[in-house]
Amino acid sequence: MKQLMKGMTVALACAAAIPLAAQAQDKVIRIGVVMPISGPGSYFGVMGKEGIDLAMEQVGAKPINGYRLQVQAEDSACSPLQATNAVKRLIAQFKPHIVVGDECSDASLAIAPILEQNKIVQLNAGSVTMKLTESGYKYVFRIFPNAEQQSAPLVKVAREKLKAQTAVILYEKTNAGNDNADGFEKPFVKAGGKVLAKIDFGRDVNDFTAIATRIASLGKVDVLPTFALEGQQVRLSQALAQAKVVKGGGGPGVQMGSIWLPWGYDQKAGQASVGYVRIVQFDPTEKRKMVQDFIKAFQAKYGADKTPTHINAHAYDTILIIAEAVRRGAQDSEGLRAQFSKLKDFEVTTGKITFDGKGQNSDLSVVHFVETQKDLSWKSIDWR
Amino acid sequence: MAAAPWLITTPYWRGILVLCAMNVMLALSLNLVLGYTGQLNLGQSAFFAIGAYVSTILIKTYGWNFWLAALAAIVAAGLVGVALAAFAVRLRGHYLAIASLGFAVITYQVLINWEDVTEGVRGIYGILPPVSDTVGLFYLVAGIAFLIYFLLDNLVRSPVGDTLRAIREDEISAASLGVHSAVWKAFAFGLGAAIAGLAGVFYPGFVGTLVPDAFGIIESFTMMAMVIVGGAGTMIGPVIGAVLLTFLPELLRGVGELRLMIYGLALTLVVLFMPGGIVQAWVAVRNRLRS
Amino acid sequence: MTDFLTLILQQSVNGIYLGCLYVMVALGLTLIYGVLNQINFAHADFVTVGAFTAFFTATRLATKVLGMPDIAAYLVSLVTALGAGAVLGVVVSAAVFAPLRRSGADELRPLIATIGVSVLLENGQLALFGPVPYQFDSPLARETLRVGRIFFSAHSALVVAVSIAAIGALYAFMRFTFIGKALRAVAQDRETAGLMGINQNLVIALTIVIASALAGVAGALLGPVVVLTPFTGASLIVKAFACVIIGGFGNMEGTIIAGLLVGIIEAFTVQYLGSGIIDLVVFAMLLAMLVLRPTGLIAERKEENV
Repeated sequence: MKQLMKGMTVALACAAAIPLAAQAQDKVIRIGVVMPISGPGSYFGVMGKEGIDLAMEQVGAKPINGYRLQVQAEDSACSPLQATNAVKRLIAQFKPHIVVGDECSDASLAIAPILEQNKIVQLNAGSVTMKLTESGYKYVFRIFPNAEQQSAPLVKVAREKLKAQTAVILYEKTNAGNDNADGFEKPFVKAGGKVLAKIDFGRDVNDFTAIATRIASLGKVDVLPTFALEGQQVRLSQALAQAKVVKGGGGPGVQMGSIWLPWGYDQKAGQASVGYVRIVQFDPTEKRKMVQDFIKAFQAKYGADKTPTHINAHAYDTILIIAEAVRRGAQDSEGLRAQFSKLKDFEVTTGKITFDGKGQNSDLSVVHFVETQKDLSWKSIDWR
Repeated sequence: MAAAPWLITTPYWRGILVLCAMNVMLALSLNLVLGYTGQLNLGQSAFFAIGAYVSTILIKTYGWNFWLAALAAIVAAGLVGVALAAFAVRLRGHYLAIASLGFAVITYQVLINWEDVTEGVRGIYGILPPVSDTVGLFYLVAGIAFLIYFLLDNLVRSPVGDTLRAIREDEISAASLGVHSAVWKAFAFGLGAAIAGLAGVFYPGFVGTLVPDAFGIIESFTMMAMVIVGGAGTMIGPVIGAVLLTFLPELLRGVGELRLMIYGLALTLVVLFMPGGIVQAWVAVRNRLRS
Repeated sequence: MTDFLTLILQQSVNGIYLGCLYVMVALGLTLIYGVLNQINFAHADFVTVGAFTAFFTATRLATKVLGMPDIAAYLVSLVTALGAGAVLGVVVSAAVFAPLRRSGADELRPLIATIGVSVLLENGQLALFGPVPYQFDSPLARETLRVGRIFFSAHSALVVAVSIAAIGALYAFMRFTFIGKALRAVAQDRETAGLMGINQNLVIALTIVIASALAGVAGALLGPVVVLTPFTGASLIVKAFACVIIGGFGNMEGTIIAGLLVGIIEAFTVQYLGSGIIDLVVFAMLLAMLVLRPTGLIAERKEENV
């Protein structure tokens, strides 16, 4: 009897081990995705997931070099606590080779040390904070333009092309908003400009007439760099136009923005957005085949009336980049890291990828300016 | 429970255990004020925040030793708690509820706006826990939680507990018996705040990052849910509530968006049908089984 | 008019407009508290539901299906939002407030139950509508009216007008109709009112319907001027509470004055102190009020906080 029990136990153990062994031999690149799927931050996470899901359907459907791509998403709710829990959970249960995340700067910074410690690559496609690539992490790669990359071109254009002397900086009260605002203020002042006011507001502010009135009382404002999400920017632009501060309302000021604003903003804001000058990286009007194919596929999957935003595009690109690294021979975390470091001019929907020594994509060749015309269309302007 | 960290071997679940221990402390602290003294306090997250920020700032900016900073943070939280008690003395019921809520909002706003000291929304990074090993940290925090439970248990069984309960049931009659409700309210608020501050001291080291968003109104509501769902006015109730509401979100992760909806539904249903929380249900079941 | 005077006037106008928005949200809250002695934490989420109802009515139903012109569609949406609010109020009342009243619960339980309802509503709407803001354009929001150098949008004029109409209607109702007087009686002294033959349950149900309908209309008015997401309500609730407390719990006149006051103070805080600390200032005011005069600006109710 005892022998039988022993035998059965051994047999069971072997049976249990077979799938494990099979898994070990099964060639998989495991991609963890940490994004806010619940709470107000889900604005980013929902779009991020859309991009990733589409990419997995296209690029991740078949094995690459014999390796399958496998994605597991966890919710970070934009909170460092939840994000660190999500990452720990992924590490414990899924053992990812690479983690895509987060969208929110707080969460991205919170998970970086954990991933670094576990030698897992972090591929960031949505955070702006300089700290992510300035803290010396060796496993962090970011394809999203950081605060300085976003704000510096604005300053250049403001001073050189728009001949702006005065500015009022408007920004949301978050890590990202703060960084972008500082990223504009420092070089602008250095170049001789004057910042009349730096106005921040919480994400729950809905009415901007009081702010617009205040700006109107400051005198002549040449440019108004604005760093906020689309919903608030629509209301802000409308208020600024009402107060006759910006061109859209017959005033002298030019609103300036960075890549935060998706295509479609101008239609939502209406005439108030006329004259808005901003940089874009993902441009749905770009004729490049990859961009147009992406838009077609996106609309086929999510609806013909939905134009993808840069959040969709950046998330989509993360899978493209991972797939490319695997194609070039990456088989694990170290391999991914090595291949990322070597990437040069790799084409994606949001432009080209070349990571610098700190892991930041330094190729901004696709970034260009657009100005909102009277018919609310974009006009591409090549100011470099 | 003590063997748990060895049974559970992944850093992830061990981390959840640490979180659980912190939540137990928070639930117990709120229970003292809410469950035993009957004061409608919706702002407990403020004291949690004070504990976290005061200790972290003292350590990071001024180089204090962890334990001294922790002590300072606990005292700070306790003092602020006593200050809030000043409202409790003059207000009752809904007025106090809203006042405490307002107080929590103000604390949150101060954390966001006083950037020179708290770094505001940028956050403070690279915070180290007092014990770097997760298992060790768990034993530390759980040990302290246990101690708190023990002390509070004795407290509520003592005449002090009777006094607090008297204030909860009928403050006017209690006054006629010579109870200085103001003093005892200050005591309850202060002690509850200090314990919440104590839990707060371990929080930043555990996460590694400190941002004001961790201390919003939702956190106060969560604490309240732990106390209510577990069973307010009992000692074991908040512990059960804390354990349940710490593990439930992790177990419900697969459900994603529905998680918070289930939360809200659960809270409503418990309050409607099982006001004494799980403890009450358990007692009812036990009685039914006996008879 | 000097620049300074223009500025003061403009910010005052802004403040009054903001204040009317707050009043519309807070009025229902104070009404429920006055009659039921209960705080409905889910009230702001009723507002959000109203806003979404109005959105879908105005942009889909009325215009696309029924082919109505924009302005008419928007006015219709005010009505449907009112209805949605009322229905929601009835449901929550029957499901939450009534059972708790029957079982003789204390003050805390209904409050917590409504917190649960609030979380439920918010996340339910999140599941239904998603987190991306909806673009609700009322045809009036883009029209700017100018009086001298003062500007305001046609929509804000509508908000003020509807607020005044709603308040006026409410007043007339309370003062001149039988049910209205019954409502006030129940608010003052429920037991005696019952003894005098007033059907409490009916009155209470009616109160909730009116309050929630108000919330719905507030949502419809707010929709075109806020960032419309399932979390819109959450951004307003705490300030609405501030208005209710500052004005005096359960006191309509107080709430109105408080709402306008909060709006004006917000506008001037933005002008002179900075928009990042609006909440701080409003809540400091709240706490100061509670310390100095807990019963609110207009103390109608007797001291119940002995």
